[in-house]
Amino acid sequence: MHESKSSGAQNIALALGNNLSRRSFLKILMMTGAAAALPGTGLLRSFSQEGPVFGRATFAGPGAYQTFRNACPRNCYDTCGMVSYVKDGVLEFVEGEPTSTYTNGGLCVKGYAYPRTVYSPDRIKYPMRQIGRGSGNWERISWEEALDAISGKILEIKEKDGSLLGMALTKYSGNFGITHYGVEGMLSSLGYTTRFVGTPCWPAGIDAQNYDMGNMWCNDPEDMAQSKYIIVWGANPAYCSVHSLKYIYEAKKRGAKVVVIDPVLTQTAVKGDEYWQIKPGADGALALAMARHLIDQGLVSREWVAANGLGYDEYEAYIKANVTVEWGAEQAGLPVDVVKRVAEEFAAADPATIWIGYGMQRHVNGGVNVRAIDALVAMTGNVGKPGGGARYGHLFTWGFNYNAMVQAAPEGSVGYTGATGPKGEFDTGQGADAAATYTDRTFNINKIGQEILDAQDPPVRLLWIANKNVVSQDFDKNKIVKAFEKVEMIVAVDLFFNPTVEQADIVLPTVTPFEDWTVNVSYWHYWLHLNEQAIKPLFETKSDIEIASALSAVLNAKQPGSCTFPQNIDAKEMMIKEFNDGIYQLFGITSWEDLRKGAAKAKLPSSASWSDLKFATPSGKYEFKSEIAQTNGHTALPEYKAGREAYAPLRLLTPHAKHGLHSQFQNLDWMHDLNPEPLVYVHPKTAGAKGIGDGDTVRVFNPTGEIRLKAQLTNNVPADTLLMYEAWFGAKNGFNVNLLVDDVSSDMGAYKTGSPGVAIHDQFADIEKVAA
Amino acid sequence: MSKRYAFHVNMALCIGCDTCAMACKNQYHQEAGIVWRKVYPVSEAIYPHRDRAWMSLACNHCDNPPCLEGCPASAYTKRDDGVVVHHPDLCIGCQQCLHTCPFGVPQYNPHTKKAEKCSLCWERLDAGLQPACVQGCPTGALTLVDLETFDDPSAIQFPPGFPHLPEVGPSTRFTLPEQPKIVRRES
Repeated sequence: MHESKSSGAQNIALALGNNLSRRSFLKILMMTGAAAALPGTGLLRSFSQEGPVFGRATFAGPGAYQTFRNACPRNCYDTCGMVSYVKDGVLEFVEGEPTSTYTNGGLCVKGYAYPRTVYSPDRIKYPMRQIGRGSGNWERISWEEALDAISGKILEIKEKDGSLLGMALTKYSGNFGITHYGVEGMLSSLGYTTRFVGTPCWPAGIDAQNYDMGNMWCNDPEDMAQSKYIIVWGANPAYCSVHSLKYIYEAKKRGAKVVVIDPVLTQTAVKGDEYWQIKPGADGALALAMARHLIDQGLVSREWVAANGLGYDEYEAYIKANVTVEWGAEQAGLPVDVVKRVAEEFAAADPATIWIGYGMQRHVNGGVNVRAIDALVAMTGNVGKPGGGARYGHLFTWGFNYNAMVQAAPEGSVGYTGATGPKGEFDTGQGADAAATYTDRTFNINKIGQEILDAQDPPVRLLWIANKNVVSQDFDKNKIVKAFEKVEMIVAVDLFFNPTVEQADIVLPTVTPFEDWTVNVSYWHYWLHLNEQAIKPLFETKSDIEIASALSAVLNAKQPGSCTFPQNIDAKEMMIKEFNDGIYQLFGITSWEDLRKGAAKAKLPSSASWSDLKFATPSGKYEFKSEIAQTNGHTALPEYKAGREAYAPLRLLTPHAKHGLHSQFQNLDWMHDLNPEPLVYVHPKTAGAKGIGDGDTVRVFNPTGEIRLKAQLTNNVPADTLLMYEAWFGAKNGFNVNLLVDDVSSDMGAYKTGSPGVAIHDQFADIEKVAA
Repeated sequence: MSKRYAFHVNMALCIGCDTCAMACKNQYHQEAGIVWRKVYPVSEAIYPHRDRAWMSLACNHCDNPPCLEGCPASAYTKRDDGVVVHHPDLCIGCQQCLHTCPFGVPQYNPHTKKAEKCSLCWERLDAGLQPACVQGCPTGALTLVDLETFDDPSAIQFPPGFPHLPEVGPSTRFTLPEQPKIVRRES
């Protein structure tokens, strides 16, 4: 690019994509600002009647604030440490944790919106009861009334069924603070119940890495700066892990090459040296093709696979017999010479790494595709090296006590007698009582609609939903809402009147991180963050464990011994009880109070996972051939597995958004200022053939459902693909990508998380123009 | 020697993540609809991929600020360090500055009935801190520089898409975005 000689006004008009005069340009600029702020839009003094005053602010000086340590718990790679600045009891602003080299003093667009999350006029303030699900006919009730109704239902179920299996819990990642596992604890303290287990997020890849290496364990992301070659494969850190970008930039600055492989020309893709537009689901075929070329060229690290691999020769034999570079490149839709060149470059670089994104395992062949990519990293000798590695995620730093989670069933509880697996990826087995005759009944978290429809003996009578906006985020929304009709009582614990709360009978108001005590770690970086209570809980909000404690008190008053959850808990004491010597040692601290001064990082023997090359597999080797995989119904080798057959003309991708994390943040008015409405992204060629112009209203539809929204034309997406970013835009907007995403499972996930994942990106749809 | 503060917008590093824009709201709590910093997409005529290159813009704290020159209430001042400050106590809400600023920076706030704009966080600068947007930027794309000493050879004052107004002297400097090699699908 060069400095243009044409007039500035013309240029800046071009920047907006229109050949406008300067005057009209300014008009557009102003529409985004003052002119759009019509009189009548609410002032920020939302709570002047009864709460602290949150209004216009300025920086009042370094000594003007009390500061607290907080952590963002919203299921993000970055899990940022935060410093909150409080004045007169009001959270005035937040900053990134300066003592963490990862967070590095800054947050992201979502994290900086937190003051608005706390003081949003849309927050749920009191327990409320809805007369008629979906009616919006809410009445304020007291905590006593709410807990009386809920405890009454629990005792009624026990009486009727002789067990509490009719009470079910679905909970996931709305808040990953360790004390929030007290929700599971609350259910355990009531007896044996039904649990929706697994994870919608990353299970296929977790299983894949467990088959290959015996665990999911990634290098410290900060060591990407040392990489000489980085392939970002199906991950979009520019949206989903903004603090990781600086390490990739640093590697580039030191001469590394960065290749981004993605079906979409993402924001990350344009920051690499090279972008490959892969056909969705062809990741395994591409990795196999690259492996074939390494074999043909003698570029396999023979020494590494001989010393550290199990079954490598069989893997090579499989590839030689079944894979050609030409075939794999064609599957992926990529030129053969390009695939060969990058395979060679990757093998020549030392160290070289692949960041395996969660998007690429959300396919019917996603798990085995991750295995093929793992193998590529291993056969070039890059596993176990600083700056190398098949990076996916880790749970290395999650060794807390789970004190709030581990609760005993009341004496005499009756439960389920069938076999069950792990209850999600964070299940450490600490909650299992080997001597118990009974267990919980487990259902697939990713098929909540179907499971409730199918449930019998007993059916799901009472559903508890916490840390999860099921109706927005789970699959096949219409089926879920229909299944909910079968449930006698639905209780939701939440911050906002989201689509799940809309379907609840009782909603219990909960706290933001700033009103809570907990502790947080990441599944990506290796920092530990304390989360202090910075402000008093607003209105009548309670944390998950405070709700459990209050429910326990009511139940024990009604029927002594019916709930073992501790009563009259202190949230801070509960947080302290999650720490143990292992955590203190790992992080090099002597007390949790050290964390009040700043974040701590795990003392790792190496920035590399598996640096001693002792793998946690049965053989202790990197298992190119995994017997466990075979026992679990997969191929022992990471063999080619075809993707899902198309069931509509266009591929539909619904990945993570820039302005939200799942259904959080995008609902805030502050976020609407930056991203006002959902869009479907369509290739101009596809749009042209259907008479769709930029900004036209369209209908996107498939057998699962339909959505109406505006189209944006862009060749960032392939011509055979539609793209919508998942989000909840707030109560007045019905946009929900899961109207179009069915609940078909991915191949893996059941081994380590209790349920297979969902083929979120193996979805298809059609599009047509409709009247606006 | 006095300082001449300016923003350096490195579009090669910028990911358009809007963190800077929200970091500003986090600090000042502007009402919904009012944004002091906005991240504009660069048009496809300049960067060939839609919504993939960005220009993070706030007040340009100009050498010869038209807002200041045109203000009948003397509600604008320019500090020795270059920061152009709007004084709400003096502002009469006449909106003259909305018309004189060639970059569309000042906004009229119907709640306060006054104009307002980016202050370059002078209160933070005076406390030895970075502006909120700069501190928030996760990639180092937005930095605060002193034009008296700034000598990044990649930096330009008038990139394509930005009004070429040397007489006004906007202080913001830009580094242009780069493009990757792109391998699109053959089938």
